Amino acid sequence: FPAELPPLPARSALSAAEILRYSRQLVLPELGVRGQLRLARSSVLVVGCGGLGCPLAQYLAAAGVGRLGLVDHDVVETSNLQRQVLHGEARRGRPKARSAAAALRRLNSAVQYVPYRGALRPRSALRLVRQYDIVADCSDNVPTRYLVSDACVLAGKPLVSGSALRLEGQLAVYNYRGGPCYRCLFPEPPPPDTVTNCADGGVLGVVTGIIGCMQALEVLKIASGMGSSFGGYMLMFDALEGRFRNIKLRPRKADCAVCGDNPSVTCLQDYEAFCGSSATDKCRALRLLPSGDRVSVQQYKELLDARVPHVLLDVRPQVEAEICRLQHALHIPLRSLEEKDEQALQRLQKRICEEKQRTDDQTPLPVYVVCKLGNDSQKAVKILQELPAEEFGSVLAKDIKGGLMAWATKIDSTFPQY
Amino acid sequence: MCQPLASYWLGHTHHVKLAGLRCETLSVPREITSLQLWEEIVKVHPRLALIRDQVVFAVRQEYVLLGDQLLVLQPGDEVAIIPPISGG
Ligand SMILES: [Zn+2]
Repeated sequence: FPAELPPLPARSALSAAEILRYSRQLVLPELGVRGQLRLARSSVLVVGCGGLGCPLAQYLAAAGVGRLGLVDHDVVETSNLQRQVLHGEARRGRPKARSAAAALRRLNSAVQYVPYRGALRPRSALRLVRQYDIVADCSDNVPTRYLVSDACVLAGKPLVSGSALRLEGQLAVYNYRGGPCYRCLFPEPPPPDTVTNCADGGVLGVVTGIIGCMQALEVLKIASGMGSSFGGYMLMFDALEGRFRNIKLRPRKADCAVCGDNPSVTCLQDYEAFCGSSATDKCRALRLLPSGDRVSVQQYKELLDARVPHVLLDVRPQVEAEICRLQHALHIPLRSLEEKDEQALQRLQKRICEEKQRTDDQTPLPVYVVCKLGNDSQKAVKILQELPAEEFGSVLAKDIKGGLMAWATKIDSTFPQY
Repeated sequence: MCQPLASYWLGHTHHVKLAGLRCETLSVPREITSLQLWEEIVKVHPRLALIRDQVVFAVRQEYVLLGDQLLVLQPGDEVAIIPPISGG
């Protein structure tokens, strides 16, 4: 990351060009010239240039904030374009921080943009956060949320935090005017396997857009001196109901590990270890099964070509099976297996029975289990291994490593990726 | 004495691969401590116990600490269980 930034100069008046440019907001008594000058002297660190960071940075740039720091370790991918509206098709493969800076520069060249191409890390986060007045958490993973929050408490900066998933969003302003920090509300990170990210849960672009714009609004209110309305409240947005709820939060927790009266966290830690998950929204590859219970996509392709009798069981959710599937697969969502859904188990039993008629029935019938990435398929194998042999006959369940996405990259390039 | 009471809202818990539903109504005593109320809900959705310390528990849109605090509920009161979501 680049060295220390010089402070933004204090100014006493707007130029004629600035007056024209910002005239529609200058006439608002709540903002006025005084607010605009404050805005021009404010710096905002945007952590994450994705679905939340894009609209946030866009509106802050348009409104004439002084400096925007843009942090992102990732490059633009095709599946980002549906919501990360600063990045165009031509930017695919380019670092998001720079792509965002380039798009914003076209919008307002008077703002200073400082792209940081890399993840926010415990080693450098505090130095970076100290150089900015306000921090916006637009990240997509749990470890980064704790890191950003702790850094803001240690540096004494307000944190405008947004998050979105599927058709819902949350917004809060932490460490602001006696209100709580993120840890006051969530002292312990959630167990990693209860966390859903946008890659496997999905998210509607408009929802990240709405929350990102709400974050921009709160940043703008703090920077211009109006003050935020969300110091002690969390906004919950439900897009399906079209409903916003404001939940009144607790005040700062006196025994909070970081913002409390006797804090135990006085420097930044290893947040990936603390949360037991990695600081990206990429899906982790779980290893629940011994390697003897797993096959590669190449091995499965050979079995398929050799016409070895078997059952292929696809355990993805229904909505994903509707996107694409292997035609010969039997589809039963993992959830139905977990719930021991009777109809689903009967379908499985029937298919096993049919397939067994093609064999001499001396050896166990192989059941290969596939999902998107090879995590749920391992959970399903464990369930299949517990099924009673008297009903299902003798079967040998294995999962296909890397799932259908590995199939798409290594075996069949026409198979859709999502 | 139990009566149909709080419509409790599961906030964003369906993301947490827990209950898989958004909203339902539960009959609980009119006067109940926040911890007892939580336990009533966990009886219906045992997996919520996994994230007890990782949620904002709110009654009538206001944070409530899980403990001995006595709540006096009115029919239709909304109880929300809000785990953080982290996507973006
Ligand atoms: Zn705190």
